[in-house]
Amino acid sequence: MVLIAGIMVLAGNAISCNTVKEYEKVNLNDPDMVLGDKQVNRNLTNFHSYREAASGANGGKTGGGCGCN
Amino acid sequence: MKKLTILFVLISGFGLAQEKTDTLAYKKRVLESAEVDFLASYYNQDGNNAAVSGGVGTEELTDATSTIVVSLPLNADDVLTIDAGISAYTSASSSNVNPFDGGKDANPFQASSGASSGDVWTNLVASYSHSSDDRNNIVTAHASVSSEFDYFSLGVGGSYTRLFNDKNTEVTLKANAYLDTWQTIYPYELRPFGEGGAGLASSFFNSHTITGNTNYQPQFTEFTDKNRNSYAGGLVLSQVFTKNMQGSLLVDVVSQQGLLSTPFQRVYFSDVDDSFIQGFQLADDIERLPDNRLKVAVGGRLNYYVNEVVVLRGFYRYYTDDWGITSQTASLEVPIKLGDKFTLYPSYRYYNQTAADYFAPYEQHVSTEEFYTSDYDLSKFNAGQYGLGLTYTDIFTNFQFLKLGLKSIDLKYHYYERNTGLSANVILFGVKFVVQ
Repeated sequence: MVLIAGIMVLAGNAISCNTVKEYEKVNLNDPDMVLGDKQVNRNLTNFHSYREAASGANGGKTGGGCGCN
Repeated sequence: MKKLTILFVLISGFGLAQEKTDTLAYKKRVLESAEVDFLASYYNQDGNNAAVSGGVGTEELTDATSTIVVSLPLNADDVLTIDAGISAYTSASSSNVNPFDGGKDANPFQASSGASSGDVWTNLVASYSHSSDDRNNIVTAHASVSSEFDYFSLGVGGSYTRLFNDKNTEVTLKANAYLDTWQTIYPYELRPFGEGGAGLASSFFNSHTITGNTNYQPQFTEFTDKNRNSYAGGLVLSQVFTKNMQGSLLVDVVSQQGLLSTPFQRVYFSDVDDSFIQGFQLADDIERLPDNRLKVAVGGRLNYYVNEVVVLRGFYRYYTDDWGITSQTASLEVPIKLGDKFTLYPSYRYYNQTAADYFAPYEQHVSTEEFYTSDYDLSKFNAGQYGLGLTYTDIFTNFQFLKLGLKSIDLKYHYYERNTGLSANVILFGVKFVVQ
């Protein structure tokens, strides 16, 4: 929750303050900076949704399939 | 002078028109060329709290999945993605839906080799996305279908993404609906007590001897509703904070209705005398769960580019639902670049959850309760996961195979352990090609 609150505060500040220009986004464009899971992790996310009660808010699927084994 | 002015205006106009044409001609394509991803995974787990046998018995399961994802640029703005997967599993606990068909004495801690010991799951997803000329608006739509022996799922969904603030801020709204149908399969010993069944007079009980409570009378009725519908809405807010840091806030709300119980998961009551055939305790009922569930998940990602070698990728999620479960997930992955082509991916993930209101272990429910389950996936537990991966990347796609240029290869291993005793090994493999 602390992280989420921090992100919200930072997001609010960032939106209202300076922006990063396209030519300054070299580091942000690094493949490891992508704000999502890599394609290869998709089945891992599925396994989590089968073995754990929680799902969602991670880019994985939020429904469909029984996951009953 | 007048002619010169007219000539200047014409040339300027031509120049402007030419510039506009050039802008359109050189509009960067959303996807430069077609890409093909081959994904594979191997998963195995073991534990001693199988839901099929009421919270006791082997949870041994092995699953192998392979998927192909093809992304095709239809033009500069539109991308069509086809995603097809197939998964085959063998499960010791599923095999005990009918523990009496394996040729050996039935026992919840041993797999039966009968028909329910394995299954194949197939999945197909088609997605279409359109980006506006300025790339600040993206609309996607997708449809999916998946099938396994006892389950069929249809899904549709879409999303709208808006970028603004010089592409430093991104907001996505998404919605999905899944319309699923069960082919209900019940524990074998309960089937004679279903609709039209002969109960203890059935051929099964005539050919098997009941020990313990010989007057076996389970509290069993078949489900009438065999549909499960899920409706999901989501919001993603992504924000660039600095030249080295960006994050996102994710919210998902899911409403599920219909048959949310798993029909072949047994429950044993403490106030009912136990009946056995061979070494297997006969079910008092199957799990009964409410026919609706509301889930809310709020998550955050924060990525920080430390330097040319190290990146920090953090994730946190809080989850709650109206079955009484709350959960927290936190993970950290630290990609470490080993030269131009290789990256190492050590990671750790922590997960905890409280128990559902309807969960109790083996023989701790009573028959007067309305809802009950002994599925340890709904119990209180915490879990740790350690991971290590290696990625090979070649941005110049020097290695060619037919008309495919190799872009990257991923290999990852994860070890997952719950404090309930369940442990799992996961191997992930992926290779990405660009069509030349």
